[in-house]
Amino acid sequence: MKNDYLWDGSGEPDPELQRIEKSLAQFRYRGEMPDFPVANFLPSKPSHFAFFTSGWTPRFAAATLLLLALTASGLLLRLAPVELSNTQVWDVARLSGAPRVGNFSLASDSSKAQLRVGQLMVTDNSSRASLNVAAVGEIYVDPDSRVRLVESGSNRSRLALELGTIHAAIWASPGEFVVDTPSASAVDLGCAYTLHVNEDGSGMLRTTLGWVGFHSDGHDSFIPAGAMSTTRPVQGPGTPYFEDASGQLRSALHAFDFESLSAADRQQALRVILAQARRRDAFTLWHLLFRVNDEERRLLYDRLASLVPPPAGVTREGTLALNSPMMDAWWNAFDLGDISVWRFWEQKQAPPLLKKAAR
Amino acid sequence: MAISVEARFEPLEWPSVSPTASKDTGDEPLVKAAQGGDRAAFGQLYQRYVRMVHGILLARVPSAAAEDLVHDVFLQALPKLAALRDVSRFGPWLAAIARNRATDFHRRTKSDCSLDDQAGAAEAPQNPERGIGIEDGIALLSAVRELPDVYREPLILRFVEGMTGPEIAARTGLTHGSVRVNLHRGMHLLREKWERHAPHAEKEQGL
Repeated sequence: MKNDYLWDGSGEPDPELQRIEKSLAQFRYRGEMPDFPVANFLPSKPSHFAFFTSGWTPRFAAATLLLLALTASGLLLRLAPVELSNTQVWDVARLSGAPRVGNFSLASDSSKAQLRVGQLMVTDNSSRASLNVAAVGEIYVDPDSRVRLVESGSNRSRLALELGTIHAAIWASPGEFVVDTPSASAVDLGCAYTLHVNEDGSGMLRTTLGWVGFHSDGHDSFIPAGAMSTTRPVQGPGTPYFEDASGQLRSALHAFDFESLSAADRQQALRVILAQARRRDAFTLWHLLFRVNDEERRLLYDRLASLVPPPAGVTREGTLALNSPMMDAWWNAFDLGDISVWRFWEQKQAPPLLKKAAR
Repeated sequence: MAISVEARFEPLEWPSVSPTASKDTGDEPLVKAAQGGDRAAFGQLYQRYVRMVHGILLARVPSAAAEDLVHDVFLQALPKLAALRDVSRFGPWLAAIARNRATDFHRRTKSDCSLDDQAGAAEAPQNPERGIGIEDGIALLSAVRELPDVYREPLILRFVEGMTGPEIAARTGLTHGSVRVNLHRGMHLLREKWERHAPHAEKEQGL
Protein backbone atom coordinates (compact mmCIF):
# COMPACT_ATOMS: atom_id res chain seq x y z
CA MET A 1 0.00 0.00 0.00
CA LYS A 2 1.44 3.31 -1.08
CA ASN A 3 0.91 5.14 2.21
CA ASP A 4 2.81 2.51 4.17
CA TYR A 5 6.04 3.66 2.61
CA LEU A 6 5.75 7.03 4.32
CA TRP A 7 5.05 5.34 7.63
CA ASP A 8 7.67 2.60 7.78
CA GLY A 9 9.26 2.27 4.35
CA SER A 10 7.38 -0.92 3.64
CA GLY A 11 5.20 -1.74 0.65
CA GLU A 12 5.55 -0.30 -2.80
CA PRO A 13 8.22 2.43 -2.71
CA ASP A 14 6.76 5.79 -3.58
CA PRO A 15 9.11 7.43 -6.13
CA GLU A 16 8.07 10.89 -5.02
CA LEU A 17 8.90 10.17 -1.39
CA GLN A 18 12.15 8.48 -2.38
CA ARG A 19 13.13 11.62 -4.26
CA ILE A 20 12.41 13.75 -1.20
CA GLU A 21 14.42 11.35 0.96
CA LYS A 22 17.39 11.56 -1.39
CA SER A 23 17.15 15.30 -1.55
CA LEU A 24 16.93 15.88 2.19
CA ALA A 25 19.37 13.18 3.27
CA GLN A 26 22.23 15.61 2.58
CA PHE A 27 21.29 17.37 5.84
CA ARG A 28 21.52 14.19 7.90
CA TYR A 29 23.68 14.37 11.00
CA ARG A 30 27.11 12.88 10.46
CA GLY A 31 29.05 14.30 13.39
CA GLU A 32 31.19 12.27 15.73
CA MET A 33 30.37 11.73 19.37
CA PRO A 34 32.31 14.22 21.46
CA ASP A 35 34.35 13.24 24.49
CA PHE A 36 32.03 14.33 27.27
CA PRO A 37 33.86 15.76 30.28
CA VAL A 38 34.00 13.43 33.25
CA ALA A 39 32.72 16.23 35.51
CA ASN A 40 29.42 16.21 33.65
CA PHE A 41 28.71 12.70 34.85
CA LEU A 42 28.39 13.93 38.40
CA PRO A 43 24.72 14.48 39.28
CA SER A 44 23.70 18.08 39.78
CA LYS A 45 20.66 20.25 39.44
CA PRO A 46 19.71 22.61 36.62
CA SER A 47 20.65 26.23 37.19
CA HIS A 48 17.62 27.91 35.67
CA PHE A 49 17.07 29.92 38.79
CA ALA A 50 20.45 31.56 39.05
CA PHE A 51 18.81 34.84 38.13
CA PHE A 52 16.15 34.55 40.81
CA THR A 53 18.38 33.96 43.74
CA SER A 54 21.92 33.08 44.62
CA GLY A 55 23.73 31.07 47.18
CA TRP A 56 21.17 28.29 47.44
CA THR A 57 22.55 26.04 44.72
CA PRO A 58 25.32 24.40 46.76
CA ARG A 59 22.90 23.78 49.59
CA PHE A 60 20.33 22.39 47.19
CA ALA A 61 22.86 20.08 45.56
CA ALA A 62 24.00 18.91 48.96
CA ALA A 63 20.41 18.36 49.99
CA THR A 64 19.82 16.33 46.84
CA LEU A 65 22.81 14.10 47.53
CA LEU A 66 21.61 13.72 51.08
CA LEU A 67 18.17 12.77 49.82
CA LEU A 68 19.71 10.04 47.67
CA ALA A 69 21.62 8.71 50.66
CA LEU A 70 18.50 8.78 52.81
CA THR A 71 16.52 6.99 50.15
CA ALA A 72 19.16 4.26 49.92
CA SER A 73 19.10 3.69 53.65
CA GLY A 74 15.33 3.67 53.87
CA LEU A 75 15.29 6.54 56.33
CA LEU A 76 13.21 8.65 54.01
CA LEU A 77 10.20 6.52 54.81
CA ARG A 78 10.26 7.93 58.32
CA LEU A 79 10.23 11.51 57.10
CA ALA A 80 7.53 11.59 54.46
CA PRO A 81 5.31 9.29 52.47
CA VAL A 82 6.81 8.05 49.20
CA GLU A 83 4.71 7.93 46.06
CA LEU A 84 4.93 4.50 44.47
CA SER A 85 2.47 4.87 41.61
CA ASN A 86 3.33 5.84 38.02
CA THR A 87 1.89 9.30 38.55
CA GLN A 88 4.58 11.94 38.64
CA VAL A 89 4.99 13.28 42.14
CA TRP A 90 6.58 16.60 42.93
CA ASP A 91 9.56 16.58 45.24
CA VAL A 92 9.43 19.34 47.81
CA ALA A 93 12.63 20.74 49.27
CA ARG A 94 12.82 23.24 52.08
CA LEU A 95 14.81 26.37 51.28
CA SER A 96 14.09 28.28 54.50
CA GLY A 97 11.70 28.31 57.45
CA ALA A 98 9.22 25.48 57.84
CA PRO A 99 7.05 25.00 54.75
CA ARG A 100 4.20 22.53 55.16
CA VAL A 101 2.95 19.80 52.85
CA GLY A 102 -0.45 18.73 54.10
CA ASN A 103 0.14 18.10 57.81
CA PHE A 104 3.83 17.45 57.34
CA SER A 105 6.24 20.25 58.26
CA LEU A 106 9.69 20.48 56.70
CA ALA A 107 11.55 22.00 59.59
CA SER A 108 15.16 21.09 58.88
CA ASP A 109 17.56 21.30 55.95
CA SER A 110 17.36 17.55 55.47
CA SER A 111 13.57 17.46 55.40
CA LYS A 112 12.05 16.29 52.16
CA ALA A 113 8.51 15.54 51.15
CA GLN A 114 6.46 14.81 48.11
CA LEU A 115 3.47 16.78 46.94
CA ARG A 116 0.71 14.54 45.68
CA VAL A 117 -2.39 15.39 43.68
CA GLY A 118 -4.87 17.24 45.86
CA GLN A 119 -2.31 18.18 48.50
CA LEU A 120 -1.59 21.74 49.53
CA MET A 121 1.84 23.22 50.21
CA VAL A 122 1.92 26.28 52.44
CA THR A 123 4.74 28.67 53.26
CA ASP A 124 4.48 31.19 56.10
CA ASN A 125 6.17 34.57 56.14
CA SER A 126 9.60 33.05 56.78
CA SER A 127 9.41 29.92 54.64
CA ARG A 128 10.53 29.17 51.12
CA ALA A 129 10.50 25.87 49.26
CA SER A 130 11.13 24.34 45.87
CA LEU A 131 9.02 21.89 43.90
CA ASN A 132 10.68 19.68 41.33
CA VAL A 133 9.82 17.09 38.74
CA ALA A 134 12.69 16.02 36.52
CA ALA A 135 10.59 15.79 33.37
CA VAL A 136 8.72 19.04 33.93
CA GLY A 137 10.72 21.72 35.68
CA GLU A 138 11.30 23.51 38.93
CA ILE A 139 9.13 25.87 40.95
CA TYR A 140 10.30 28.14 43.74
CA VAL A 141 7.67 29.11 46.22
CA ASP A 142 8.09 32.43 48.05
CA PRO A 143 6.91 33.15 51.63
CA ASP A 144 3.19 33.51 52.36
CA SER A 145 2.11 31.27 49.51
CA ARG A 146 -0.35 28.43 49.05
CA VAL A 147 0.18 25.97 46.18
CA ARG A 148 -1.96 22.93 45.42
CA LEU A 149 -1.08 20.09 43.04
CA VAL A 150 -4.15 19.62 40.83
CA GLU A 151 -2.90 17.19 38.18
CA SER A 152 0.36 15.38 37.54
CA GLY A 153 0.44 13.02 34.59
CA SER A 154 3.02 11.95 32.05
CA ASN A 155 2.36 14.92 29.81
CA ARG A 156 0.10 17.18 31.85
CA SER A 157 0.89 18.93 35.08
CA ARG A 158 -1.31 21.47 36.81
CA LEU A 159 -0.81 23.49 39.95
CA ALA A 160 -3.15 25.98 41.59
CA LEU A 161 -1.56 29.06 43.10
CA GLU A 162 -4.15 30.18 45.63
CA LEU A 163 -2.02 32.91 47.19
CA GLY A 164 1.51 34.26 47.04
CA THR A 165 4.32 34.04 44.56
CA ILE A 166 6.04 31.30 42.57
CA HIS A 167 8.95 31.38 40.16
CA ALA A 168 8.75 28.67 37.50
CA ALA A 169 11.44 27.34 35.15
CA ILE A 170 9.88 24.74 32.89
CA TRP A 171 11.56 22.41 30.44
CA ALA A 172 8.55 20.23 29.64
CA SER A 173 7.09 20.65 26.16
CA PRO A 174 5.04 23.81 25.63
CA GLY A 175 1.48 23.54 26.89
CA GLU A 176 2.13 20.67 29.30
CA PHE A 177 2.42 22.75 32.45
CA VAL A 178 -0.39 24.99 33.69
CA VAL A 179 -0.84 27.04 36.85
CA ASP A 180 -4.36 28.09 37.79
CA THR A 181 -4.99 31.27 39.75
CA PRO A 182 -8.35 32.59 40.97
CA SER A 183 -8.68 34.79 37.88
CA ALA A 184 -6.62 33.20 35.07
CA SER A 185 -4.47 30.21 34.15
CA ALA A 186 -0.83 30.51 33.17
CA VAL A 187 0.08 28.10 30.37
CA ASP A 188 3.78 27.47 29.91
CA LEU A 189 4.91 27.81 26.31
CA GLY A 190 8.59 27.12 26.94
CA CYS A 191 9.78 29.58 29.53
CA ALA A 192 10.59 30.89 32.96
CA TYR A 193 8.26 33.24 34.74
CA THR A 194 7.03 34.69 38.02
CA LEU A 195 3.39 34.47 39.03
CA HIS A 196 1.81 36.34 41.93
CA VAL A 197 -1.67 36.14 43.47
CA ASN A 198 -3.10 38.65 45.97
CA GLU A 199 -5.63 37.87 48.68
CA ASP A 200 -8.45 39.39 46.60
CA GLY A 201 -7.67 36.94 43.76
CA SER A 202 -6.04 39.52 41.51
CA GLY A 203 -2.57 38.76 40.25
CA MET A 204 0.36 39.40 37.99
CA LEU A 205 2.50 37.37 35.60
CA ARG A 206 5.98 38.44 34.53
CA THR A 207 7.89 36.39 31.94
CA THR A 208 11.65 36.02 32.17
CA LEU A 209 12.37 33.61 29.30
CA GLY A 210 10.32 32.39 26.36
CA TRP A 211 6.62 33.19 26.57
CA VAL A 212 3.52 32.33 28.58
CA GLY A 213 -0.17 32.20 27.74
CA PHE A 214 -2.42 33.78 30.35
CA HIS A 215 -5.84 32.28 29.82
CA SER A 216 -9.33 32.94 31.08
CA ASP A 217 -12.74 32.46 29.51
CA GLY A 218 -12.92 34.90 26.63
CA HIS A 219 -9.58 36.54 27.34
CA ASP A 220 -6.14 35.31 26.36
CA SER A 221 -2.91 37.22 26.84
CA PHE A 222 0.44 36.12 25.44
CA ILE A 223 3.31 37.39 27.52
CA PRO A 224 6.81 37.27 26.02
CA ALA A 225 10.07 37.65 27.94
CA GLY A 226 10.35 41.13 29.42
CA ALA A 227 6.61 41.66 29.47
CA MET A 228 3.92 41.32 32.13
CA SER A 229 0.20 41.25 32.59
CA THR A 230 -2.07 41.83 35.55
CA THR A 231 -5.28 39.93 36.12
CA ARG A 232 -8.49 40.52 38.06
CA PRO A 233 -11.26 38.16 39.15
CA VAL A 234 -14.14 38.14 36.67
CA GLN A 235 -12.31 40.44 34.24
CA GLY A 236 -9.42 38.05 33.66
CA PRO A 237 -5.99 38.92 32.28
CA GLY A 238 -5.39 42.50 31.22
CA THR A 239 -3.56 43.57 28.10
CA PRO A 240 0.12 42.58 28.38
CA TYR A 241 2.88 45.14 27.97
CA PHE A 242 6.65 45.31 28.07
CA GLU A 243 7.96 46.45 31.42
CA ASP A 244 9.97 49.20 29.74
CA ALA A 245 6.84 50.73 28.16
CA SER A 246 6.17 54.33 29.15
CA GLY A 247 4.37 55.04 32.39
CA GLN A 248 1.66 56.85 30.44
CA LEU A 249 0.99 53.81 28.29
CA ARG A 250 0.86 51.52 31.30
CA SER A 251 -1.53 53.79 33.20
CA ALA A 252 -3.79 54.19 30.19
CA LEU A 253 -3.82 50.42 29.63
CA HIS A 254 -4.72 49.79 33.26
CA ALA A 255 -7.62 52.22 33.04
CA PHE A 256 -8.73 50.77 29.71
CA ASP A 257 -8.65 47.19 31.02
CA PHE A 258 -10.03 47.47 34.52
CA GLU A 259 -11.80 50.79 35.16
CA SER A 260 -15.32 51.82 34.28
CA LEU A 261 -14.53 54.74 32.01
CA SER A 262 -16.89 57.22 30.42
CA ALA A 263 -16.88 57.23 26.63
CA ALA A 264 -14.72 60.36 26.61
CA ASP A 265 -12.23 58.94 29.12
CA ARG A 266 -12.04 55.69 27.21
CA GLN A 267 -11.34 57.58 24.00
CA GLN A 268 -8.63 59.58 25.77
CA ALA A 269 -7.04 56.42 27.21
CA LEU A 270 -6.92 54.84 23.77
CA ARG A 271 -5.44 58.03 22.31
CA VAL A 272 -2.62 57.88 24.86
CA ILE A 273 -2.00 54.19 24.16
CA LEU A 274 -1.76 54.78 20.42
CA ALA A 275 0.51 57.79 20.83
CA GLN A 276 2.82 56.10 23.33
CA ALA A 277 3.15 52.76 21.55
CA ARG A 278 6.58 51.99 20.12
CA ARG A 279 7.30 49.34 17.51
CA ARG A 280 8.10 46.99 20.38
CA ASP A 281 4.64 47.63 21.81
CA ALA A 282 2.91 46.36 18.66
CA PHE A 283 2.04 43.14 20.47
CA THR A 284 0.12 45.18 23.05
CA LEU A 285 -1.95 46.81 20.29
CA TRP A 286 -2.52 43.37 18.75
CA HIS A 287 -4.10 42.19 22.00
CA LEU A 288 -6.26 45.29 22.20
CA LEU A 289 -7.78 44.54 18.80
CA PHE A 290 -9.78 41.79 20.48
CA ARG A 291 -10.99 44.01 23.31
CA VAL A 292 -12.39 47.08 21.59
CA ASN A 293 -15.40 48.17 19.57
CA ASP A 294 -15.39 48.51 15.77
CA GLU A 295 -14.52 52.18 15.72
CA GLU A 296 -11.65 51.73 18.17
CA ARG A 297 -10.45 48.73 16.18
CA ARG A 298 -10.04 50.83 13.04
CA LEU A 299 -7.81 53.27 14.94
CA LEU A 300 -5.82 50.41 16.39
CA TYR A 301 -5.38 48.76 13.01
CA ASP A 302 -3.94 51.92 11.48
CA ARG A 303 -1.45 52.43 14.31
CA LEU A 304 -0.47 48.76 14.44
CA ALA A 305 0.04 48.65 10.66
CA SER A 306 2.31 51.69 10.90
CA LEU A 307 4.44 49.97 13.55
CA VAL A 308 4.54 46.44 12.09
CA PRO A 309 3.13 46.18 8.56
CA PRO A 310 0.67 43.30 8.21
CA PRO A 311 2.31 40.27 6.58
CA ALA A 312 1.26 39.02 3.15
CA GLY A 313 -2.30 37.77 3.15
CA VAL A 314 -3.41 39.85 6.12
CA THR A 315 -5.95 42.49 5.07
CA ARG A 316 -7.53 45.43 6.83
CA GLU A 317 -11.00 43.94 6.35
CA GLY A 318 -9.91 40.58 7.72
CA THR A 319 -8.26 42.15 10.73
CA LEU A 320 -11.28 44.31 11.52
CA ALA A 321 -13.37 41.13 11.38
CA LEU A 322 -10.79 39.41 13.66
CA ASN A 323 -10.16 36.71 11.07
CA SER A 324 -8.37 34.08 13.11
CA PRO A 325 -5.69 32.92 10.62
CA MET A 326 -4.88 36.54 9.79
CA MET A 327 -4.61 37.52 13.43
CA ASP A 328 -2.33 34.54 14.01
CA ALA A 329 -0.17 35.44 11.02
CA TRP A 330 0.23 38.99 12.29
CA TRP A 331 1.18 37.74 15.74
CA ASN A 332 3.84 35.51 14.22
CA ALA A 333 5.26 38.55 12.42
CA PHE A 334 6.22 39.97 15.84
CA ASP A 335 8.66 37.06 16.27
CA LEU A 336 7.69 36.57 19.90
CA GLY A 337 6.65 32.91 19.65
CA ASP A 338 4.81 30.71 17.18
CA ILE A 339 1.11 31.03 17.95
CA SER A 340 0.42 27.57 16.49
CA VAL A 341 1.80 26.22 19.77
CA TRP A 342 -1.05 27.99 21.54
CA ARG A 343 -3.65 26.76 19.06
CA PHE A 344 -2.50 23.18 19.70
CA TRP A 345 -2.96 23.72 23.41
CA GLU A 346 -6.42 25.21 22.86
CA GLN A 347 -7.38 22.22 20.76
CA LYS A 348 -6.27 19.85 23.50
CA GLN A 349 -8.54 21.63 25.97
CA ALA A 350 -11.63 21.11 23.81
CA PRO A 351 -14.06 18.34 24.86
CA PRO A 352 -13.39 15.08 22.94
CA LEU A 353 -16.47 15.45 20.73
CA LEU A 354 -15.44 18.93 19.67
CA LYS A 355 -11.93 17.73 18.93
CA LYS A 356 -13.28 14.93 16.79
CA ALA A 357 -15.51 17.31 14.88
CA ALA A 358 -12.59 19.69 14.33
CA ARG A 359 -10.64 16.97 12.58
CA MET B 1 -2.97 31.54 0.32
CA ALA B 2 -0.66 29.91 2.80
CA ILE B 3 -2.79 30.83 5.79
CA SER B 4 -5.91 29.09 4.60
CA VAL B 5 -4.10 25.88 3.73
CA GLU B 6 -2.51 25.52 7.14
CA ALA B 7 -5.69 26.49 8.92
CA ARG B 8 -7.53 23.56 7.36
CA PHE B 9 -5.42 21.00 9.16
CA GLU B 10 -5.50 20.92 12.90
CA PRO B 11 -2.59 18.85 14.17
CA LEU B 12 -3.47 15.77 16.12
CA GLU B 13 -3.05 15.99 19.87
CA TRP B 14 0.24 17.78 19.93
CA PRO B 15 2.28 16.87 21.84
CA SER B 16 0.45 13.66 22.58
CA VAL B 17 2.86 11.53 24.48
CA SER B 18 1.99 7.96 25.20
CA PRO B 19 3.14 6.68 28.57
CA THR B 20 3.61 3.29 26.98
CA ALA B 21 5.13 4.34 23.70
CA SER B 22 8.60 4.55 25.13
CA LYS B 23 8.48 1.36 27.16
CA ASP B 24 9.86 -0.88 24.45
CA THR B 25 12.95 1.10 23.60
CA GLY B 26 15.21 -1.03 25.75
CA ASP B 27 16.81 2.13 27.07
CA GLU B 28 16.16 1.53 30.74
CA PRO B 29 19.35 -0.43 31.55
CA LEU B 30 21.43 2.10 29.65
CA VAL B 31 19.79 5.06 31.34
CA LYS B 32 20.23 3.51 34.78
CA ALA B 33 23.86 2.75 34.04
CA ALA B 34 24.43 6.27 32.73
CA GLN B 35 22.77 7.67 35.84
CA GLY B 36 25.38 5.78 37.79
CA GLY B 37 28.18 7.43 35.83
CA ASP B 38 28.74 4.79 33.14
CA ARG B 39 30.19 6.74 30.22
CA ALA B 40 29.92 3.84 27.78
CA ALA B 41 26.21 3.57 28.51
CA PHE B 42 25.75 7.26 27.88
CA GLY B 43 27.70 6.83 24.66
CA GLN B 44 25.25 4.17 23.52
CA LEU B 45 22.33 6.45 24.37
CA TYR B 46 24.04 9.18 22.38
CA GLN B 47 24.29 6.90 19.35
CA ARG B 48 20.63 5.93 19.68
CA TYR B 49 19.30 9.44 20.08
CA VAL B 50 21.65 11.73 18.22
CA ARG B 51 19.55 11.63 15.04
CA MET B 52 16.39 12.47 16.97
CA VAL B 53 18.09 15.39 18.69
CA HIS B 54 19.56 16.66 15.43
CA GLY B 55 16.20 16.35 13.65
CA ILE B 56 14.36 18.25 16.37
CA LEU B 57 16.96 21.00 16.24
CA LEU B 58 17.06 21.08 12.44
CA ALA B 59 13.29 21.63 12.44
CA ARG B 60 13.87 24.85 14.34
CA VAL B 61 17.32 26.30 13.71
CA PRO B 62 19.69 26.68 10.71
CA SER B 63 21.51 23.48 9.83
CA ALA B 64 24.96 24.75 10.81
CA ALA B 65 23.64 25.74 14.24
CA ALA B 66 21.82 22.43 14.60
CA GLU B 67 25.13 20.56 14.28
CA ASP B 68 26.64 22.64 17.08
CA LEU B 69 23.62 22.47 19.33
CA VAL B 70 23.49 18.65 19.23
CA HIS B 71 26.44 18.51 21.60
CA ASP B 72 24.95 21.27 23.75
CA VAL B 73 21.79 19.26 24.24
CA PHE B 74 23.66 16.18 25.41
CA LEU B 75 25.92 18.27 27.61
CA GLN B 76 22.82 19.89 29.11
CA ALA B 77 21.13 16.53 29.63
CA LEU B 78 24.08 14.79 31.22
CA PRO B 79 24.12 16.51 34.62
CA LYS B 80 20.31 16.37 34.82
CA LEU B 81 20.15 12.69 34.03
CA ALA B 82 20.48 11.59 37.64
CA ALA B 83 17.25 13.43 38.44
CA LEU B 84 15.25 11.61 35.76
CA ARG B 85 12.81 9.54 37.80
CA ASP B 86 11.07 7.57 35.04
CA VAL B 87 13.96 6.09 33.07
CA SER B 88 11.59 4.73 30.42
CA ARG B 89 10.90 8.31 29.36
CA PHE B 90 14.47 9.20 28.50
CA GLY B 91 13.57 9.90 24.86
CA PRO B 92 10.69 12.33 25.51
CA TRP B 93 12.76 13.99 28.21
CA LEU B 94 15.72 14.47 25.86
CA ALA B 95 13.39 15.69 23.10
CA ALA B 96 12.00 18.34 25.44
CA ILE B 97 15.52 19.52 26.24
CA ALA B 98 16.31 19.73 22.51
CA ARG B 99 13.15 21.75 21.79
CA ASN B 100 13.89 24.13 24.62
CA ARG B 101 17.50 24.47 23.50
CA ALA B 102 16.25 25.55 20.07
CA THR B 103 13.92 28.08 21.69
CA ASP B 104 16.81 29.37 23.73
CA PHE B 105 18.94 29.66 20.57
CA HIS B 106 16.34 31.94 19.00
CA ARG B 107 16.06 34.01 22.13
CA ARG B 108 19.80 34.60 22.19
CA THR B 109 20.15 35.31 18.48
CA LYS B 110 16.76 36.84 17.99
CA SER B 111 17.30 39.72 15.58
CA ASP B 112 19.71 38.16 13.13
CA CYS B 113 18.65 34.56 13.00
CA SER B 114 16.57 32.90 10.34
CA LEU B 115 16.22 29.37 9.06
CA ASP B 116 17.85 30.38 5.78
CA ASP B 117 20.43 27.75 4.92
CA GLN B 118 21.65 29.39 1.72
CA ALA B 119 24.83 30.48 3.43
CA GLY B 120 25.69 26.91 4.25
CA ALA B 121 24.78 25.55 0.84
CA ALA B 122 28.35 25.30 -0.34
CA GLU B 123 29.14 22.93 2.50
CA ALA B 124 26.27 20.61 1.77
CA PRO B 125 27.22 17.53 -0.24
CA GLN B 126 25.64 16.86 -3.61
CA ASN B 127 24.25 13.57 -4.74
CA PRO B 128 25.85 13.05 -8.15
CA GLU B 129 24.21 9.69 -8.68
CA ARG B 130 20.70 11.04 -8.92
CA GLY B 131 21.64 14.54 -9.98
CA ILE B 132 19.75 16.04 -7.05
CA GLY B 133 21.15 19.51 -6.45
CA ILE B 134 21.83 21.33 -3.25
CA GLU B 135 19.27 23.95 -4.15
CA ASP B 136 16.50 21.35 -4.36
CA GLY B 137 17.31 20.11 -0.89
CA ILE B 138 17.50 23.62 0.53
CA ALA B 139 14.20 24.60 -1.05
CA LEU B 140 12.56 21.43 0.25
CA LEU B 141 13.97 21.91 3.72
CA SER B 142 12.70 25.49 3.70
CA ALA B 143 9.27 24.31 2.66
CA VAL B 144 9.19 21.73 5.45
CA ARG B 145 10.28 24.35 7.97
CA GLU B 146 7.39 26.59 7.01
CA LEU B 147 5.00 23.94 8.29
CA PRO B 148 3.79 23.99 11.91
CA ASP B 149 6.05 22.29 14.46
CA VAL B 150 3.98 19.14 14.73
CA TYR B 151 4.41 18.41 11.05
CA ARG B 152 7.92 19.62 10.42
CA GLU B 153 9.44 17.59 13.22
CA PRO B 154 8.22 14.14 12.10
CA LEU B 155 8.87 14.98 8.44
CA ILE B 156 12.45 15.97 9.15
CA LEU B 157 13.02 12.91 11.33
CA ARG B 158 11.57 10.76 8.54
CA PHE B 159 13.21 12.31 5.48
CA VAL B 160 16.40 13.89 6.81
CA GLU B 161 17.35 11.48 9.56
CA GLY B 162 15.93 8.42 7.82
CA MET B 163 13.91 7.25 10.82
CA THR B 164 10.74 5.23 10.27
CA GLY B 165 7.42 6.26 11.80
CA PRO B 166 7.57 3.56 14.51
CA GLU B 167 11.11 4.66 15.35
CA ILE B 168 10.01 8.29 15.65
CA ALA B 169 7.19 7.26 17.96
CA ALA B 170 9.46 5.12 20.11
CA ARG B 171 12.19 7.74 20.41
CA THR B 172 9.99 10.77 21.03
CA GLY B 173 7.38 8.99 23.14
CA LEU B 174 4.55 10.07 20.83
CA THR B 175 1.81 7.60 19.99
CA HIS B 176 1.97 5.73 16.68
CA GLY B 177 -1.35 7.33 15.76
CA SER B 178 -0.09 10.86 16.29
CA VAL B 179 3.11 10.33 14.36
CA ARG B 180 1.36 8.57 11.51
CA VAL B 181 -1.38 11.17 11.16
CA ASN B 182 1.03 14.07 11.41
CA LEU B 183 3.38 12.49 8.85
CA HIS B 184 0.55 12.16 6.37
CA ARG B 185 -1.00 15.53 7.05
CA GLY B 186 2.42 17.13 6.96
CA MET B 187 3.19 15.45 3.66
CA HIS B 188 -0.10 16.67 2.26
CA LEU B 189 0.68 20.24 3.32
CA LEU B 190 4.20 19.95 1.95
CA ARG B 191 2.88 18.91 -1.45
CA GLU B 192 0.48 21.86 -1.51
CA LYS B 193 3.15 24.27 -0.41
CA TRP B 194 5.63 22.92 -2.93
CA GLU B 195 3.15 23.16 -5.77
CA ARG B 196 2.25 26.70 -4.80
CA HIS B 197 5.73 28.08 -4.27
CA ALA B 198 7.83 26.06 -6.69
CA PRO B 199 5.78 25.16 -9.75
CA HIS B 200 8.94 24.87 -11.84
CA ALA B 201 10.69 22.63 -9.39
CA GLU B 202 7.55 20.56 -9.24
CA LYS B 203 7.73 19.88 -12.94
CA GLU B 204 11.43 19.08 -12.80
CA GLN B 205 11.16 16.80 -9.79
CA GLY B 206 7.69 15.47 -10.35
CA LEU B 207 6.62 16.32 -6.80
